[in-house]
Amino acid sequence: MDTGGDLLVIELGALVLALAIVARLARRIGLPALPLYLLAGLALGEGSLFELDASEDFIEVGAEIGVILMLLMLGLEFSTHELINNVRRSTLAGAVDLVLNFTPGFVAGLILGFDPVVAVLLGGVTYISSSGIVAKLVADLDRIGNHETSVVLSVLVIEDLAMVLYLPIVSGVLFGGSALSTVITVAISLAAVLGVLGVAYLLGDRLSAIALSQSSEALLLTLLGGTLLVAGLAGRLGVSTAVGAFVVGVALSGDIVSHARGLLLPLRNLFAAVFFVFFGLKVDLGLIPDVAVAALAIAAVTVVTKIASGWIAAARAGIGKPGRLRAGAALIAHGEFSIVIAELGIARESDLGALAATYVIVLTLVGAVLYQFADSITLPTRKRRVRT
Amino acid sequence: MRKVTETDLPGVGIRFDLQTDAGRCVGVVAHQTGRRDLVVYDERDIDRACESVQLTEDEGHTLGELLGGSPVLEHLDDAVHRLEDLVISWVQIAAESSIAGQTLAEAALRTRTGAGVVALVTESGSIPIPAGEHRLDVGDTAVVVGVPSAVKAATRLLRRPAD
Repeated sequence: MDTGGDLLVIELGALVLALAIVARLARRIGLPALPLYLLAGLALGEGSLFELDASEDFIEVGAEIGVILMLLMLGLEFSTHELINNVRRSTLAGAVDLVLNFTPGFVAGLILGFDPVVAVLLGGVTYISSSGIVAKLVADLDRIGNHETSVVLSVLVIEDLAMVLYLPIVSGVLFGGSALSTVITVAISLAAVLGVLGVAYLLGDRLSAIALSQSSEALLLTLLGGTLLVAGLAGRLGVSTAVGAFVVGVALSGDIVSHARGLLLPLRNLFAAVFFVFFGLKVDLGLIPDVAVAALAIAAVTVVTKIASGWIAAARAGIGKPGRLRAGAALIAHGEFSIVIAELGIARESDLGALAATYVIVLTLVGAVLYQFADSITLPTRKRRVRT
Repeated sequence: MRKVTETDLPGVGIRFDLQTDAGRCVGVVAHQTGRRDLVVYDERDIDRACESVQLTEDEGHTLGELLGGSPVLEHLDDAVHRLEDLVISWVQIAAESSIAGQTLAEAALRTRTGAGVVALVTESGSIPIPAGEHRLDVGDTAVVVGVPSAVKAATRLLRRPAD
């Protein structure tokens, strides 16, 4: 008997069970599970009490699959037509959101003495809200019908789309080497992404019809295999596996989408959790005290800038003040994308991992709470305004 | 029909809002999955859904019938969207109808209106794709498919006496 194999299975079992407890706990107290997964990862990581040895390689592969599945599912949420309509409608709100929220991270990165590329990554970390967490918060609080929710969702779509351009650019710059080869890599990746989106726009229905199968087993294998292959090739081209997977998701439309969502959701949940734990594992706990102040400061600034961008976007859509505050508060939660971006830069700047983990944990918990209580915050201020 | 505001909810579906003369706002969220949410907005904060009730597709139809609105429910979710200009309507057969009690063959709905009956919902169960000998009994519900004008004509026949 191979004892190494047994050990791997035991470690994995313990890890997944621990995550199950975390997920239950999160549900019980009404908070998103993601920050708690990160905490779990931190608790198991370098310099902590427990160390996972046997399963680390496996977890690393699982984490990679987790990113791919998250992006695939995100892509599935959108059809190319929907994306294009959205951009047309909410460009200004999207631009305000980008400027207000990219800047704090970027500036903080420069102040902290990171090199400019890493500062751009930190800008990305603070820019992008978590569409996954926000969507879940909205649904859990029964606010899908709220008027500001359409605004929030539109902003999230623009952000996700911005990521599709941002990820290939930063991966190109990070791994490009010389100035010339960087420009070439970036150009290739952007051309590839736009090319695939174009093909998806024109031929998406036909591609989806080919991939569709009556057998859910065959469909699952087709989807998973196809996505991993495209993502892997995209990674080879320097476009980043994440973007490759997202583009596959966007390209699929029609009948296949609802089947695919149902089939992939359990896998996504498992591997996404593994990814967050893996990220936590990689963060050196010893670095956190050094970056904690910076992380909290950036988080405090982003709370303000995210509320401002939600407020402005909602105001443009003719929504009243309480709704504007709710829109702003909804956008505070950061999550999967921030971590995906930070992961890109962890090799270049080890502080970035600790910073991003602390930042995401704090901001997401604060955001979830603020969004829940946004209504009770608004009413007193409105009354005061009436009196004066 | 009153003016209904339509708003896209990317990744979720479409929201429809109706302002009442009395100043209240009610809405329906049509999810891509077929789920419908009936939403009532707060009087003081008109953007806030103070009450939101989840309805299955079927419950949505029933509520639509009870409210006595237009029986032609345009389905905007993915599944029906691809039917392009077709609509599906659930029409309860009224006693006044000139064709109540006739068989489908006698009523010749398709020849007269261009809309087809794809199912009958009776007390004893549903009959998908009913044949010509099935009777259009008072109180049963006919599921009618066709272009909007044809469905409208068929609905009139099933509900009212002949002109």
